[in-house]
Amino acid sequence: MQPVGIITVLFFAVPFMVIVINTLLPRHAAEKTCLYMAGAVAVIQIVASVADFFFIASSGNDAYEFALLWNLKNEGAERLSVDSLSLVILFCIGMVALISVLVANRTIENKRTIFVDLLMTLLLGMNGMLVVTDLFSLYVFMEIIGLSSFVLIAMFKTEEGLEGAFKYLIMSVLAGVFILTGLSFIFMHTGSLLFRDVSSGILNGLSGSQSVPVYAAFILLIAGFSIKTGAVPFHSWLPDAHQSANTAVSILLSGIVIKVAGVYGLIVVTRLFSEIPAVRITLAVMGIVSIITGALFALKQDHFKRIAAYSSVSQMGYILLGLSTGSTLGLLGAVVHIFNHATFKSTFFSNAAALHEQVGTLDINKMGGLQSRMPVTGFSSIAAFMSTAGIPPFAGFWSKLLIIMSLWDSGFEVAAGIALFSSIFTAAYFLRLQRKVFFGKLPEKFREIREVGGSIKFAEILLTCVNIATGVAFPLALIYLKGRGIV
Amino acid sequence: MEAIVYICLAAMLLFGILAVMHHSILKSAIWLALASASLGVLMYTMGAVWSSLFEISVCSGLVTVIFVSAISLSNTDKGELGKLYEDKKRMSLLPVVLIAGGILLFAAAALQLFSVPDAAPAAAGAEDFAEIFWNSRQTDILGQMIVAITGSVAVVALFKERDIL
Repeated sequence: MQPVGIITVLFFAVPFMVIVINTLLPRHAAEKTCLYMAGAVAVIQIVASVADFFFIASSGNDAYEFALLWNLKNEGAERLSVDSLSLVILFCIGMVALISVLVANRTIENKRTIFVDLLMTLLLGMNGMLVVTDLFSLYVFMEIIGLSSFVLIAMFKTEEGLEGAFKYLIMSVLAGVFILTGLSFIFMHTGSLLFRDVSSGILNGLSGSQSVPVYAAFILLIAGFSIKTGAVPFHSWLPDAHQSANTAVSILLSGIVIKVAGVYGLIVVTRLFSEIPAVRITLAVMGIVSIITGALFALKQDHFKRIAAYSSVSQMGYILLGLSTGSTLGLLGAVVHIFNHATFKSTFFSNAAALHEQVGTLDINKMGGLQSRMPVTGFSSIAAFMSTAGIPPFAGFWSKLLIIMSLWDSGFEVAAGIALFSSIFTAAYFLRLQRKVFFGKLPEKFREIREVGGSIKFAEILLTCVNIATGVAFPLALIYLKGRGIV
Repeated sequence: MEAIVYICLAAMLLFGILAVMHHSILKSAIWLALASASLGVLMYTMGAVWSSLFEISVCSGLVTVIFVSAISLSNTDKGELGKLYEDKKRMSLLPVVLIAGGILLFAAAALQLFSVPDAAPAAAGAEDFAEIFWNSRQTDILGQMIVAITGSVAVVALFKERDIL
């Protein structure tokens, strides 16, 4: 077995081991140690994805295909695959999981073992979705993500949490029905659900009426994965679910779950249906509408987490615009924006955890002048806001630049213009948030407030460093990609 | 082979009715599992090996385990549940459902609606089944294992009444 194979197995073996250890340990011991184990899993995932990336890059191959343990010596039985795209997202999963664990250390007092077990099943679901090469398996792992997320939102049994989880469950079921029906249409037509069999030539040789099931499958799959993405008009569940969950869970949902369960599914669909012209137009229209609608809704919100949630709807629009181009540059922009969004959205939710712990509220109308009392939280929030708005030298500037360039190159000049000017909306809702929370007059009752300590502060500093370092070092990455002929 | 199809259909109807009508929620879950298993056998007989595999393993096996775990962990008074499900109007509709189901089955048999494919999976041999299970659908085995673990954790998280600490 090659080193890359051994490393890839870790993506599944390590979370499994943590669940087993959690189950075997006495309850009190498990409650004390489980967050450390979860943190270790996240770090291992980060290291493993980086190592895999360089092993594959140095081998000169685009991807590494492998089989499960009992099929290792069976030629042609490879049904799993990792490539550069999946490894970047696997890295993001590790990073967001680590931040979630750091925040959970302060926000979750009871039921830590259950939180960690559900985090591990969520990781297994997300990792699985990224390595399968079959549409049905993709659906199975997507449902694992949905089930784990639903229970993570509901597990503390608050009224808000249960309501948010219920909305998420209903929309997840709807998405599942759409996707499963779409898969049956594809299976009817091709007799297989392997990616390589459901190729872009799916429409070849079909007359008008024969191609109807293929178009129906395309519409159903786009609708199903768009629900999971939280793109407009399928976004109604997202703000409630993200606001009502514990902040450690909100980080997971907004930071990575919508990207793996939704955006990655859309990436697969756009690859499989690339010959259908409607793919590009559909994603472009949904992208533009999501950017503007999400931003306008964010402007009207008064709850910190709700603003961050609507901001996610808006930022998913940029990712959809990148995918709509169908070009390598557009895909690169979308993937870099997935990474950047994971970074700055995790920062905002870490800020939310800090504010809730120190101030006791997340209503932005009840705050003000907190920059002087909580400088680390204030600075990290401003850095995340500037990255979201695409202001250089922060990381978000580069991904938005790549997306706008790819739109222009692909003949979507109007969409490029809208994407560019929509940054004004992003700046507007985050400037309002910054002004109301961190600037202005400090209310008398907040005079004694101190900066948050411990793991949340560490998470804020870590994410801000990643944000700035990515922004500064990204030109080097572009030179490397240009050298390999990718851009 | 066609006899098996009609036996399975009848079993599905019977087990389905028992699942809906039974007063004990635990026994209802078991009848539902048997209805699902009958559907799995029916699918296998009609040549849909993959579907039968998932119907039996997931719907009949895994879902039943999760149902039973949830019922046992929620500590609901079985007597109260029994009272909730006592419904005389539904009992009066039972003969209607049975007669309607019987007529439908008889009509299906008379019209020969269900034709069993020539190369039925039983004829194709157990080797194909193993090939599909262990090779072609290997990722789904992994998926099922994770679904089982997630389901168990979900049941504990949502239905276990006692606090962890």
